[in-house]
Amino acid sequence: MKDFMMIFVGKEYVDLGLSPDELQARMEKWFAWGAKMEKAGILKGGEALTPQIRRVTGKNRTVTDLTSTEVKEIVGGFYLIKAKDFDAVQEIAQDFPDYDLGNTVEIREIMVFDQ
Amino acid sequence: METKDIDHLFRHHSGKMVSVLTRIFGLQHLDIIEDAVQDTFIKASLTWRKQQPDYPEAWLTKAAKNRVLDIFRTLKSQKNNLPNISQGTDAIAINELFLDSEIEDAQLRMIFTACHPKLDPRDRISFALKTVSGFSIKEIASALLTKEETIKKRLVRARKVIKKAKLKFNIPQGKDLSERLESVLEVLYLIFNEGFHSNNKTQLIRTDLCTEAMRLCQLLLKRKQTQLPECYALFALMCFHSARLETKMSLDNAVLDLKQQDRSLWHFPLIQLGNSMMYKAVETDEFSCYHYEAAIAAEHLKAKTFEATDWSKILKWYNALYLLQPMPSHLLTMAVICMQTEDYKMANTYFNQIQASDLEQRAYLFYAAKADYYAQNDNFSEAILQIDLALKLVNNNLEKAYLEKKKELWLQN
Repeated sequence: MKDFMMIFVGKEYVDLGLSPDELQARMEKWFAWGAKMEKAGILKGGEALTPQIRRVTGKNRTVTDLTSTEVKEIVGGFYLIKAKDFDAVQEIAQDFPDYDLGNTVEIREIMVFDQ
Repeated sequence: METKDIDHLFRHHSGKMVSVLTRIFGLQHLDIIEDAVQDTFIKASLTWRKQQPDYPEAWLTKAAKNRVLDIFRTLKSQKNNLPNISQGTDAIAINELFLDSEIEDAQLRMIFTACHPKLDPRDRISFALKTVSGFSIKEIASALLTKEETIKKRLVRARKVIKKAKLKFNIPQGKDLSERLESVLEVLYLIFNEGFHSNNKTQLIRTDLCTEAMRLCQLLLKRKQTQLPECYALFALMCFHSARLETKMSLDNAVLDLKQQDRSLWHFPLIQLGNSMMYKAVETDEFSCYHYEAAIAAEHLKAKTFEATDWSKILKWYNALYLLQPMPSHLLTMAVICMQTEDYKMANTYFNQIQASDLEQRAYLFYAAKADYYAQNDNFSEAILQIDLALKLVNNNLEKAYLEKKKELWLQN
């Protein structure tokens, strides 16, 4: 088993004008997905991120404060899971609730350094 | 936690919190309030992904309470003159506004605001569904079969009127109350009908609208000033109709008229509730149109089979209703009732008093009824001519399929 990260990229709920009912429906899907991974014993962690960005860039460490509205895409959160390989994670990622919003799951393997 | 427990929790809570916060900050800040409440739900939807709280409602209320100070800061930065509520007795008073009874009070104030005579009647339903019921613009548009742009315009217009007229966020008293209540009941009736009779293809939306109208009507009945015969009658009517909402569609989603509905599937507890509401409604002898409509609905439910329906009683109620409310659609129904009792002469007198165009978007019902009329008199060629006119005008696919089935049957004659 290896460790993988599923990174969620795309639009933020806050910018999409979703109704309370739609928000609740999505939340329930996320909850069911998380519970499913937990039950399978593969969930190692995960967080949702707020839409504020402080960007530090360049030699001069230039600082810009942004919100999700000002960027094309934003990382909204991530899950850390255990799986055999990319194919297995791809299978798990089928349940990601926000594909219909045009959002994306990026699957990355956690690098293991030789001891 | 069971998902069922929190069915529409966000939607209902949205209406509650917008109402309470409006009571604190006033109608002129509705935009800021709605944004703040929306923000609460976004936060909840993200936080609850990992773990849902044990008491979701309490969590949401607490979150909304926390927004009070945020809204305060926003308003202050806009140089609004507001008292300092962050401490002392004001803070206690605000806490009390979040008690269940006070939340209901605030929601009633919002319903009465939505039905203020200054608001355009067309804007009232949209505004009520948005602020009291927590529907989004998209949801309202699909519920009312209207473009999102139109709904947006209606909401903007309603808010402008509210701001300009500096409407007070309260429940009117005395004579004003009875006038405003009439408009409130009408809006609730329309919301319910939009669900029960609408051309909407989605069953889910229809059920949502019916339950929402009932929930709001119940709020009226909880309060002494509005425990009035016409409110009870409207609620009874909603109970009677809802009792057979599920059976209106068969498994293959074809529209079933009363004749074909499986009466054993009617929801008995709702019929009982409707009956007890009716008893309260007739405690005085002043009858509203809701009384008559409820009486008609009850008459249908009383019949064990379609054939056992007491049409003469129903016709009597319709005549009384027509006196209060002279609408062409009632005449059409009366014609159809006469056809049930094979009184074709009387049916014809009712038909002759209406034009299809009187019924506007429901004009197809006129032609469909006329088609039945001719078919029952064995004039199938005329019946087919009429049903073709109906088919040209009908929008709903289910109704269309229903009419086409009839036509096919007649073609075989």
